[in-house]
Amino acid sequence: MKITICIGSSCHIKGSRQIVEALSAFVSEHHLEDKIELGGTFCMDRCQEGVCVTVDDEFYSLTPETVSDFIKNRISPEVSEFIQ
Amino acid sequence: MNNLCADIGYKSINHVGEQLCGDHVEIVEQSDHSTVIVLADGLGSGVKASILSTLTSKIISTMMAAGLPLEECVSTIAATLPVCSVRGVAYSTFTILHIINNETAEIIQYDNPRVIVLRDNQNFDYPTTEMNLDGKKILKSTVRLQEGDIFIAMSDGCPHAGIGTAYNFGWKREDIIDFMETMSVTGLTAKNLSTLLVDECDKLYGQKPGDDATACIVKIRKRQPMNLLFGPPSNRDDCDRMMSLFFSKEGKHIICGGTTSSIAAKYLGKPLIPTLSYEKSDIPPVASLEGVDLVTEGVITVNRVLEYAKDYLGDNEMYSHWNFRRDGASLICQLLFEEATDINFYVGRAINPAHQNPDLPINFNIKMNLVGELSDCLRQMGKRIKVSYF
Repeated sequence: MKITICIGSSCHIKGSRQIVEALSAFVSEHHLEDKIELGGTFCMDRCQEGVCVTVDDEFYSLTPETVSDFIKNRISPEVSEFIQ
Repeated sequence: MNNLCADIGYKSINHVGEQLCGDHVEIVEQSDHSTVIVLADGLGSGVKASILSTLTSKIISTMMAAGLPLEECVSTIAATLPVCSVRGVAYSTFTILHIINNETAEIIQYDNPRVIVLRDNQNFDYPTTEMNLDGKKILKSTVRLQEGDIFIAMSDGCPHAGIGTAYNFGWKREDIIDFMETMSVTGLTAKNLSTLLVDECDKLYGQKPGDDATACIVKIRKRQPMNLLFGPPSNRDDCDRMMSLFFSKEGKHIICGGTTSSIAAKYLGKPLIPTLSYEKSDIPPVASLEGVDLVTEGVITVNRVLEYAKDYLGDNEMYSHWNFRRDGASLICQLLFEEATDINFYVGRAINPAHQNPDLPINFNIKMNLVGELSDCLRQMGKRIKVSYF
């Protein structure tokens, strides 16, 4: 699974850093480095909807407040078999 | 003409309890490629000393820059300076560094500690001749410049540092030379070298300077062009024109801005690879793109660069923030402040609709102001700046 987070100006101001940190904490906590690839991008041309995040090619609009729900509902189920 | 240039930087600390510095540095650059730098140290400290040194350095630099002979400058000062009511003399010592065509340096000194010249990071003993002007003993020297030459002019507050506390007789000239020889190897800028020297004096004084101390450093270096691209052009059709102009220029290339770097990646036909490493900083991460020396985010990063630039021109206290870090803003500072001498800005005036949101601390006007202010700061650092808008 590839998760891409926008780190451009707009998304940065809206808190992309917290989202990057939450996702990388989740990945390293459960040792999912070879299951989930985290990447950055500068702009997805949807700045108004930031923070822009894509999972493979599916688009999500997140905020630092919604990131934990996003991990619980969207990411965890897909990798549940690898989580000890 | 050669391709050398003079990097000039200075820093002062004030006598403890004084708000004004009794030392003054004045730099006048002339059109015919000659620069006059005057460091004057007024008698005493505080307001009176400040007036004396400011007058002295202003008068000398203006007259020297106008090509008047030294004798006239000195007699003008003697006739102009107000006489101290306590001591009955009008007095300010001075050091003049006159850089001509980036080929020769004329050093004229009156009663300040002798200018230290480092060549190849070693103390260089230059010949001096003594003149007598109106009963004043003035030392004059001429030095042919070489790349890497460093001229260190000081007020007597530097060698007097630590008298009676750290050292019996203050910080001796030989020890200052030793200190600066070590520091000069690191390739620091004139401003940072002068900051190190004066901060060391401050330490020796135990943070309570017994005299105003100033160091003014001139470093002879090669010209180094640098190009910075910031923002996409207002008209999409200009992208290729802007990119081809930018990439055709000599020197390193820096790109600031997400959309801008995507346009550049498309132009170069290379992938843009952003990182997610924040480098213990609140600046967005950098990216890599083959053919470009540095790719960063735009407004937030450049705004931080401007903050560092303003500080660098003043107290230079945030130096340690940007000099060793690896975040986007720090890397730009290292390139622009330390490496570059000639900077070409390529600024796109496209408006990002997402930035025109009143809830966000960024908008188009702020972006344009950033460029204006940053190029002003860089000019004050003695760099040649060209800004092209698209």
